[in-house]
Amino acid sequence: MAASGCRGVRSILWKNRSCGKNVCVPRSKMVPQLPVRQIYVSSSLWKKNLAAAGPQKFTQEFIDKQVEEFEVGKRHLANMMEEDPETFTQEDIDRSIAYLFPSGLFEKRARPFMKHPEEIFPKQTAIQWDAKGRPFHFLFYTGKQSYYSLLHDVYEKILAIERHQDKMRNKGLFTSDTKQILLTGSRWLLKEEIEENLVENISDQDYMRLIQLMEKLLSMPYCSLEKEFILKFRKQLEVQSSKYEIPALQYDPQGVAFSVADGRRKTAKASITLRDSGSGNITINGRNYLHYFPVLQNRVQLMFPLLFVGMMGRFDIEGSVEGSGHSAQAGALRLAISRALLSFVSEGEVEKMRQAGLLTADPRIRERKKP
Amino acid sequence: MAASVRHLLKPWTPSLCFARWSRYNPYYLDPDPSKDAPDSELSPEQKELQELKTVRPIKAALSSDTSSTFNDPLISKFINMMMQDGNKILARGIMTQTLETIKRKQVEIYHRSPAAKRLEIECNPYTIFQKALENCKPIIGLASVQKGGKSYQVPVPLTDNRRRFLAMKWLITECRDNKHRRTHMYEKLSQELLAAFANEGNVVKRKHDLHKMAEANRAYAHYRWW
Repeated sequence: MAASGCRGVRSILWKNRSCGKNVCVPRSKMVPQLPVRQIYVSSSLWKKNLAAAGPQKFTQEFIDKQVEEFEVGKRHLANMMEEDPETFTQEDIDRSIAYLFPSGLFEKRARPFMKHPEEIFPKQTAIQWDAKGRPFHFLFYTGKQSYYSLLHDVYEKILAIERHQDKMRNKGLFTSDTKQILLTGSRWLLKEEIEENLVENISDQDYMRLIQLMEKLLSMPYCSLEKEFILKFRKQLEVQSSKYEIPALQYDPQGVAFSVADGRRKTAKASITLRDSGSGNITINGRNYLHYFPVLQNRVQLMFPLLFVGMMGRFDIEGSVEGSGHSAQAGALRLAISRALLSFVSEGEVEKMRQAGLLTADPRIRERKKP
Repeated sequence: MAASVRHLLKPWTPSLCFARWSRYNPYYLDPDPSKDAPDSELSPEQKELQELKTVRPIKAALSSDTSSTFNDPLISKFINMMMQDGNKILARGIMTQTLETIKRKQVEIYHRSPAAKRLEIECNPYTIFQKALENCKPIIGLASVQKGGKSYQVPVPLTDNRRRFLAMKWLITECRDNKHRRTHMYEKLSQELLAAFANEGNVVKRKHDLHKMAEANRAYAHYRWW
C-alpha cells in the first residue's frame, strides 16, 4: 500500500516543485492539462483469488512420488527402531512416531503423524477426457458419471436376473424359495461412504434412488446370484457383546478363584473383589451391606446381577466405594459386580446380561444449574 | 467403521438442545431386565428386534428395575408419580404400607366371611392394584379445540400411556386432597384402591363424569382433525 501510495505522492510533489520553479508561465501557453490523479489501489487486488481455484489438485506422478518416499521412509523408521522393515505395520509406525516426537498438544490432529499418502491426499478423479477434449466415459455429460454408470450396472443385473428367471420358468425349474441373502447384522453404506467410493458428490435423492434400486434387486427370487455385488454395498455391524473386556480370573494361595472389577456411576467409584467361596456375604467399606445400605432398593441393586445369572449364594463380595450418594454408590457397585461376573459366566450369558442393561455404564450426570 | 460407530457410543448432547433429552445417543436401545426370554415362537418382528439387539448398544438398567419377580413396572411407575422432591424412600414406604394394609383388610374379610364366599375374595394386593387401576382408566378423553374464537371440549381417543397416567394421577390427587386431616396417605390410598376395585369411590366417579361429558359433547367430535 505504501508503494502504491508513494507514486501518487511523488507525482504531486513533482508537480508542486515544478510549479515552484517555473513561476511565470504565460497562461495562454499553458496547455490545459487534465488533473492527473493517481488512483490508490491496494495490492490485495493483485493477489490471486485462492478460493476460486477449488481444492488443491495433485498430479498422479506427484502422488506416486509421495508413496515411494513413504515406503522408503517406513523402512528407515523400522531400521531406526531396530525392527524388521518387512513386517512394519501402520500401528508400529504410529507408535514409533509417538516415541520419537513426543507431543503434548491437546489437538490430536495437530500432532506429528506419518500415514500412507492415500489417507492424506484426497482421492481425485483422473482427467476424464483425451487430448482433443473428447470425454472417455459415455455418461460424462450427466455430471455424475460414476453414479449413473453404477445405476446402469444395477439395472443390468436386474435384467439379467429376470432373464435367468424366464429361462428357469421355460425349463419348469422355477422355485421362489431360493437361497436368500442374509442381511441381518449389516446396514447399507451411508451416503458419505458411497461418495467416497465413487469420488463424486451425490445428493440425498440420488442416494435414496440407489438404495431403492438395490432393494428391488434384493426383492427378486434369484438375487443370490449377485450376492458379492450386493454385499459390497453392505457394511457389517459388529456384534456388540464382543466389545466387553472380561477381567482375568485370578487364584488365591488357597486355590479360591476371584476376580476384581471397577464400576462408576455419577462420581461414585466402586471396586469389587468377587470370591468363589460359596457363602454369599457382602462386605462394603468394611461394613456388612445391611448396615451400609439400609434402603431395600440399594441392596436389591447389589443382588441384581447375581440373581440374573442365578449364582446368588456362590460368591463372597468385598467392595469399597466412595463418592456421590447412596443410590449412585449402589449403581457403581452393581456395575462392578456385573463386570467381575463376566469371568465366571459363559458367552451366551454375557450377551443376556448386556441386553438386560447390566454392563452399560450409566452416562447420566447432574445437569448444571441454569438461571 | 469403528470411527463412525464410536461417536454414537459416547455420552451425547444433541446439537439442538430440546427441553427433554437424554444423555444416551438415540442409537441406544432400551434394556429388558426380565430374566428369561419368552420361549414361545417369536413373530418375525420380534425376531428382527432380537437380531437388532445383538448389534446395537443397550442403555443401562434403571436403579429401580431388577430381574426378580417382586419387581412390578406398574407399581414402580406409581411410586415415581407419588414421589415428591425426589424422596423415593418415602414414596416406596407409603406404597409398601398401602399394599400391606390392603392385604390385611382383605384377609380380615376373608376370615370373617362364610366358606362359600371365600373363593371370591381377592387377597393378592398386586392384582387388586392392577384391577383397581384398570377400573379407573378413562376410555375417551376431552381436548380443548379453539374454533371461531370459542374453545370447545372435543371428545378424543386416548393412548394407553395417557390413560394409565390419568388413572394414577386421579388416584394420587384424590388421596392427597379429599381426606380427613389426620388420616395417613397409605390408609386413604388403600381405601380408594379397594373402592376402585369394586367400581365405587371418587376416582371411578370422576372417570364416569368424564365419559358423560364426552358423550354430551359428541356433537363436536368432528372438530378433531388428528
